[in-house]
Amino acid sequence: MAKSSYLKPDTIALHSGYVPESDHGSRAVPVYQTTSYVFESVSDASSLFNVEQGGHIYSRITNPTVAVLEQRIAALEGGSGAICTASGMSALFTTFITLCSAGDHIVSSAQIYGSTATLLKHTIKRLGIECSFVPINDEKALREAIQDNTKMVFCESIGNPGLEIADIPNIAKVAHEFGIPVVVDATFATPALCRPIEHGADIIVHSVTKWIGGHGVAVGGVIVDGGQLDWSASGRFPELTEPYAPFHGIKFWEEFGPSALAMKIRAESMRDVGATLSPHNAFLILQGIETLSLRMKQHVANAHTMVEWLQAQEEVTWVNHPEMESSPSHHLAPVLFPEGAGSMLCFGVVGGRAGGAAFINALQLASNLANVGDSRTLVLHPGSTTHSRLTPEDMIAAGISEDMIRVSVGIEDIKDIKADFQRGFKAASRIAGEG
Amino acid sequence: MELQVNGRKVYAATGGKEFDAKLPTVLFIHGSGLDHRSWALQTRWFAYNGYSVLAPDFPGHSLSEGDALTSIEAQGQWLVDFLDAANVNRVHAVGHSQGFLCALELAKNAAGKVASLSGIGTAAAIPVNPALIETALESSSKAADLMLQWGFGQNAQMGISAVPGMQPIAIGRQIMVSNPLAVDLQACANYESGETVAESLNIPTQLVLAGQDRMTPLKAGKAMAKTMNAEVTVIDNYGHMLPIEAPKRCLQSLRDFIGSIEHSE
Repeated sequence: MAKSSYLKPDTIALHSGYVPESDHGSRAVPVYQTTSYVFESVSDASSLFNVEQGGHIYSRITNPTVAVLEQRIAALEGGSGAICTASGMSALFTTFITLCSAGDHIVSSAQIYGSTATLLKHTIKRLGIECSFVPINDEKALREAIQDNTKMVFCESIGNPGLEIADIPNIAKVAHEFGIPVVVDATFATPALCRPIEHGADIIVHSVTKWIGGHGVAVGGVIVDGGQLDWSASGRFPELTEPYAPFHGIKFWEEFGPSALAMKIRAESMRDVGATLSPHNAFLILQGIETLSLRMKQHVANAHTMVEWLQAQEEVTWVNHPEMESSPSHHLAPVLFPEGAGSMLCFGVVGGRAGGAAFINALQLASNLANVGDSRTLVLHPGSTTHSRLTPEDMIAAGISEDMIRVSVGIEDIKDIKADFQRGFKAASRIAGEG
Repeated sequence: MELQVNGRKVYAATGGKEFDAKLPTVLFIHGSGLDHRSWALQTRWFAYNGYSVLAPDFPGHSLSEGDALTSIEAQGQWLVDFLDAANVNRVHAVGHSQGFLCALELAKNAAGKVASLSGIGTAAAIPVNPALIETALESSSKAADLMLQWGFGQNAQMGISAVPGMQPIAIGRQIMVSNPLAVDLQACANYESGETVAESLNIPTQLVLAGQDRMTPLKAGKAMAKTMNAEVTVIDNYGHMLPIEAPKRCLQSLRDFIGSIEHSE
């Protein structure tokens, strides 16, 4: 376990990474809306460029407002450091290309977000990086998929949209036998519900656009370096253990140890790819993160109520939530998600695909859109949208059916959410009746 | 770089540049449960600005083989052997906390090799609560947590980092739990010669002390400075882990002091 702070999570969410600055005493984190930073001298500039000291050079690499968010999320997750990125997808891409080169291989859960699946299956393949998809909780399949050139095992703590819980401790046990890291996209849980590093994960990725921000006004991502993996043990990571030419042959693992990966991402990917989070977006995400645990409690409470209520509705053909006994991975929920396994749920309505469409079109409170994790309730038909690029076989592997409606349960009054859904059920019933 | 000391493989960080014994050498000596990585934000500057750097891991720490040495006296003698193995005749010795006690022993045993002494967050005696040693023997994680809560100052506890995006406490913890912390603490607790050795030395010395140091309190550091007629720099608002918490100000003090000695010769 890599503790980053001895403050409690609610305190970290409000304070970590910032104390009122000395010039003006600003209580809130200021927005440092600047591209660059004046050097004290030429030698000072030189030492910053040569990683002889910490500090800011250019906002593509680091920014004081963004750094507060990074340090706060690292503290919440228990990591040695964090790097914010322009989006959750750029956080994933950055992680993949930092650890993988042409000829390398990734083992991924089959049940992941559609765009991530596309990135792994098609985009990075063009860079010579192959990916094998496995049922992530099938230990035999996982073991068999790991090759000599495998650089990571990737999964989502709660799969999107099938809502399978990844057995992180067991996945980590297997991956670590081979000396490779476990990368977990923990967007659906946030550190308020699950801190994967404590369960053996090595790298955490979030789309902070979602629950961490919670307001739905800013896109962003983050990579957290757990700092626990011995990058030299397996001999698979020359990127971190061997001299890195662009910085006079620096060896990240030898010099920086627990923060080697974060330093490498900063030095290479933020410099070369530049998928930077803007300071203003960082400021907005910081406003959200301050109330993260309060919001997550209400998200979970509303989700629990909705799961129970939906099961009692005659228009509902099936319901899925990670904590339901019908979920094959529900036994993992009390271990990994003691405060509740998130606020995502899926269900089917009468009338199949057309019934689902009618349900969504009839809603007035819940929003039909391609996002999750707003404080507001959001709905989507994955088969027509986020996962539409998948083949029928891949859709099944990802846990998606044609009638699936994905719900990101918000924190509105539960009575209003139910009333809105009742409007949808009436519309779906009409379609089913016509059929 | 790797070298053999007393028949065992030893690792020493060189600041990212090949070691060159012809240049003035700065020897960085880590504290209890730490290793070369605690000096990451000082060693590179020296290596790229006219010095050679050696930041060894004591035996049994990080990348060095062997059993951990059980006394400060043994660690001091090991430093003599290490410098012989590296073929270095003169160093500016920089020690953090326990590392400075080892530097005192190095200077006692090989005064001619030590051009200057710099102590960071240190004192002539570093008593350790027996309960902490007992905890460290049972669980290095628990002991590291206790030490880091005491060791880092308020800013670090609030998640402030000299390196954007990083969490110094997590980094320090990861380093500490992987090293023989209990042995180091016991060595500190048993060492009683600090003041006597300090009094006996006639080597230019500076002490960089922390205003919020709860492990080697400022008062104790200043007392040793008086004994050694040392220059003193006090960095307020930081705790015992100065090389990690306030790396730039530590570096500046080291640059100024070591530079002044080099330029005066």
